[in-house]
Amino acid sequence: MADYQAPLRDMRFVLNEVFDAPALWASLPKVAENVDPDTADAILEEAGKITSGVLAPLNREGDEQGCKWNDGEVSTPEGFREAYQTIVEGGWVGLGGNPEFGGMGMPKTLVAQFEEMMQAANMAFGLAPMLTAGACLALDAHGSQELKEKYLPNMYSGVWSGAMDLTEPHAGTDLGIIRTKAQPNDDGSFRVTGTKIFITWGEHDMAENIIHLVLAKLPDAPRGPKGISMFLVPKFEVNEDGSLGERNSLSCGSLEKKMGIKGSATCVMNFDGARGWLVGEENKGLAAMFTMMNYERLGVGVQGIGAAEASLQSAREYALERIQSRAPSGAQQPEKAADPILVHPDVRRMLLTMKGYVEGGRAFSTYVAKWLDISKYSEDQQRRKHAEGMVALLTPVAKAFLTDRGLDACIMGQQVFGGHGFIREWGQEQLVRDCRITQIYEGTNGIQALDLMGRKVVGTQGRLYELFAEDVATFIEENSGDETLRPFLEPLAAAFERLSDVTEHVISQAGDNPDAVGAASVDYLDLFGLTALGYMWAKMVKAAAPKAEGDTSGFYTGKMKTARFYFDRLLPKTVALAEGIRSGSGSMMALTAEEF
Amino acid sequence: MPDYKAPLRDIKFVMTELLDSEQHYANLEGAEDATPDMVDAIIGEGAKFCEQVLSPLNRVGDKEGCTWSEDGVKTPTGFKEAYQQYVEGGWPSMTADPNYGGQGLPSSLGLVMSEMVGTANWSFGMYPGLSHGATNTIEEHGTEEQKQTYLTRLISGEWTGTMCLTEPHCGSDLGTLRTKAEPNADGTYAITGTKIFISAGEHDMAGNIVHIVLARLPGAPEGTKGISLFIVPKLLPNEDGSAGERNAVSCGSIEHKMGIHGNATCVMNFDGARGWLIGPENRGLNCMFTFMNVARIGTAIQGLGAAELGLQGSVTYAKDRLAMRSLSGPKNPEGIADPIIVHPDVRRMLLTQKAVAEGARALIYLTAQQADIVQRGKTGEERKAADEALGFLTPIAKAFLTEIGYEAANLGMQVYGGHGFISEWGMEQNVRDARIGMIYEGTTGIQALDLLGRKVLMTQGESLKGFTRQVHVFCKENADNEQLREFIEPLTALNKEWGDLTMKIGMTAMKNREEVGAASVDYLMYSGYAVFAYLWARMAKVAQDRMEEGTTEEMFYNAKIQTARFYFKRMLPRTRGHAESMLAGADSLMDMPEEAFAL
Repeated sequence: MADYQAPLRDMRFVLNEVFDAPALWASLPKVAENVDPDTADAILEEAGKITSGVLAPLNREGDEQGCKWNDGEVSTPEGFREAYQTIVEGGWVGLGGNPEFGGMGMPKTLVAQFEEMMQAANMAFGLAPMLTAGACLALDAHGSQELKEKYLPNMYSGVWSGAMDLTEPHAGTDLGIIRTKAQPNDDGSFRVTGTKIFITWGEHDMAENIIHLVLAKLPDAPRGPKGISMFLVPKFEVNEDGSLGERNSLSCGSLEKKMGIKGSATCVMNFDGARGWLVGEENKGLAAMFTMMNYERLGVGVQGIGAAEASLQSAREYALERIQSRAPSGAQQPEKAADPILVHPDVRRMLLTMKGYVEGGRAFSTYVAKWLDISKYSEDQQRRKHAEGMVALLTPVAKAFLTDRGLDACIMGQQVFGGHGFIREWGQEQLVRDCRITQIYEGTNGIQALDLMGRKVVGTQGRLYELFAEDVATFIEENSGDETLRPFLEPLAAAFERLSDVTEHVISQAGDNPDAVGAASVDYLDLFGLTALGYMWAKMVKAAAPKAEGDTSGFYTGKMKTARFYFDRLLPKTVALAEGIRSGSGSMMALTAEEF
Repeated sequence: MPDYKAPLRDIKFVMTELLDSEQHYANLEGAEDATPDMVDAIIGEGAKFCEQVLSPLNRVGDKEGCTWSEDGVKTPTGFKEAYQQYVEGGWPSMTADPNYGGQGLPSSLGLVMSEMVGTANWSFGMYPGLSHGATNTIEEHGTEEQKQTYLTRLISGEWTGTMCLTEPHCGSDLGTLRTKAEPNADGTYAITGTKIFISAGEHDMAGNIVHIVLARLPGAPEGTKGISLFIVPKLLPNEDGSAGERNAVSCGSIEHKMGIHGNATCVMNFDGARGWLIGPENRGLNCMFTFMNVARIGTAIQGLGAAELGLQGSVTYAKDRLAMRSLSGPKNPEGIADPIIVHPDVRRMLLTQKAVAEGARALIYLTAQQADIVQRGKTGEERKAADEALGFLTPIAKAFLTEIGYEAANLGMQVYGGHGFISEWGMEQNVRDARIGMIYEGTTGIQALDLLGRKVLMTQGESLKGFTRQVHVFCKENADNEQLREFIEPLTALNKEWGDLTMKIGMTAMKNREEVGAASVDYLMYSGYAVFAYLWARMAKVAQDRMEEGTTEEMFYNAKIQTARFYFKRMLPRTRGHAESMLAGADSLMDMPEEAFAL
């Protein structure tokens, strides 16, 4: 297993050279107050140190030890508590948080890089700060001033952690049917009763208090998703002076035994009339949850990239060190018993595929983060609205496509190791197991695809799609005279046209056939993602090409070559996907349940 | 973990209706016992054993794993007793030589049993599976004395066997192996070296373990041509053949791995252990290759098993689990929501698994029939043709089926949502277990090189033509069949394209040897989808014929046609991407300097 090194060079390339983040930040006054290029760079540097130096070394052992449940208490793997303390002291939990309550107010474009590093170094651990940041976001957006003052500062600092309690044994994807109840007390608080499952970091020994945001139903609430409210339920009640009070009546009933992210606690949480406080309006809980969803979902996509990056680092180290067979074109290292396996075309295919997805994915997640920053911080209403549209459209792609390709990449990184890839001590199989959950939680990738195709594309009759289409078309047009870019722009334009045609096709089908969306959705998302990454690679070529000539570092020429590979070998999948989508839903719906 | 139910109806469909096993067996030498009644009875008995004994031990095996101590390796609770029952049932001897206690049934029938055993409990199935390798080696290359001593006991199941190939520094590249064999005065050899990844290398289920070890004689040529094969028993046989003194071979440790926890993956240390040469000196790798194809079909079954088990679990779950309403209106209005099987995307996942599992069964059984003919065909011509077909189909079956079987297992897990990630449901175990299939017995990359480099290009495309000719004949015979048009048309086009692509790659490969490796995996996957298209079209035809004749099993045959349709519409288009990608050439792979991979 290679020691994880944060890919700072590539992150700087994406931030500064591809997207000119400093200019973006300068254009957003509220961001500019908090960050300038030097600060950003120092944050990246420090994040690199802490993730590779503190979090990565705990990753293997975290997997072996897992969390332990003992009568409602959960103990974390060795070293996790100390590492958490380090993260708290560095102020990392509140990196993107609201400065009014102690957050650092950093833009998502920057925060996303830190998140990638943390998830790559140790995904099980990284989920704790991630969940806390998510809970803060919801609370900041919807909580009363009183709740915010009482809880946010300690959550941003990380002294308290956060958890999101949505799923119940019978209800995951379909939250409309949850049963957890909230009954009003006389003092304005509520008694929350019910069972929640799959609660990540719902209980642990790293923070002084755990703040749960719980979805529950008020008495006489409407049925379905419109009858759900959100409650803040702390593990320990908080006194007026901010000190910790009584233990609230909620507890962790057990931990799940699972495939991966074993260092994190996945809890069954029992609420037995626990005291909670309403966050936001009654019956608007699901909507409130959705405001943080975009951030969370991008964060999950970034987990996919992170795991893939870690896998890539180990795989290329192994491919350089492992000697096996001779190159087809003749011995490359005749003095040794065999050549390093990196000489073999198929090993290169695997590594380049990983590189194509990881670096393309990093650019894409930064691109989405850019729109999140604009939608949150721009003072120009039109610009903000435009960015909101982009975020709505691109978020499901970022979540599902980056985790799907992230897993593919991890599987390849494991394959490069041959038999050793199956053995735990080498770490590659753990990345596959850890990464696998990212396709499932925060809305399965099937659900993401429905969201993209149904709500975002068909639901707006293509209006949101047009925003993205315009962006790509402008880029292609602006650069149409560039000879270096031409070999990349042509296939991009073709893939993009394919995507637009398919988009139109599905919108036209959806009117008559309610199953058309569900039948096309997963392939459509894949097609969208591959094309969007093609766009990212073209953008990277544009940034790299002028510097590639006379480049002694090899960085820019390497970019150009990986781009070439992406267009030659990965983008062609779009042809297959478009064909599958056009075949319609008939072949999917014909079979009766028994015939399966 | 879902309770495994042997898919007897589909097994019968593929064997008798698609591949006419009755005629096939009647044409084989010495397969008189494989009458339809006998075949049914054997499969029925096997199914019971797999469902009732092996399947319940699958989760246990994963949870407990094997444990190593100085005294040896302990298998999970229940494995030892199950193995005893397996032996008492006579299963190890099914396809073996009757002269040494075998029942002499055809290999293809043995592979049906392997499918059921492997799907019910892959980790368990590997113990007898590895014995097969040792059995085959001794059967093919052993002396009469070696056969009397080892073969009879391997065939009865009293002893088990292993294959000791890999060493710490060499797996794919066996030419560099270092284990030494030095002659003793009595004609035996002293074997010294370390072998890793030895499945079933040490355990507590059998009276003795017979290792087949690759090693080098003093002064042997370098590389693959200096490797010999040795029999190295754990316990040295006495004069009467019974197990005696302990040999100097021991299990140093077992690997902690992603899956197949119930099977012991051993580091084996040979410290001057006594061994007997088997086969000619320095011809060890060639000897291994004589039965490599059958062994690889055995591994290909792992892809089938993973898809079948995932399908069985996820169909049940998709019918039970209620979430959301169907987009075309409630299907279960009295419930709080509809079962998730109403949702198109869930169906996509189930149908993909179904297309993979049933297509894989057809491919395995078809390939297994070729193995039967190679072993027992009546004429030399028949045997030669079958050998070529077997050589062509084996790398496709091994790599393609383990790849898409793994994909199918992941879909089975995905249908379960969050529960898929939780151990007690068994779906994540299925995924972890299936992952090794793409690695051992030659990785996907190695299989792809074998297919494109050795099998296709080295025969100037002849082995491919042998297959595409069959497809061509089938397409021609059915060209006027209106109802099959949706399958025959694309199949005809694909069959032609397959040949064209091969030509193109052949041409570029003559100029640049890197082209083979650059195109190989895409070529293999393309070939897999093409073979599946042929098999699904044939299955659709059988089903259609039955429906026309009139049948009481309309539902079964209708499902076949629908699944074929799904395969053609939703999966076969994947060939577009592979076709384009394989033609993209080697440059974008080879231009990248080594250092740039790390930037």
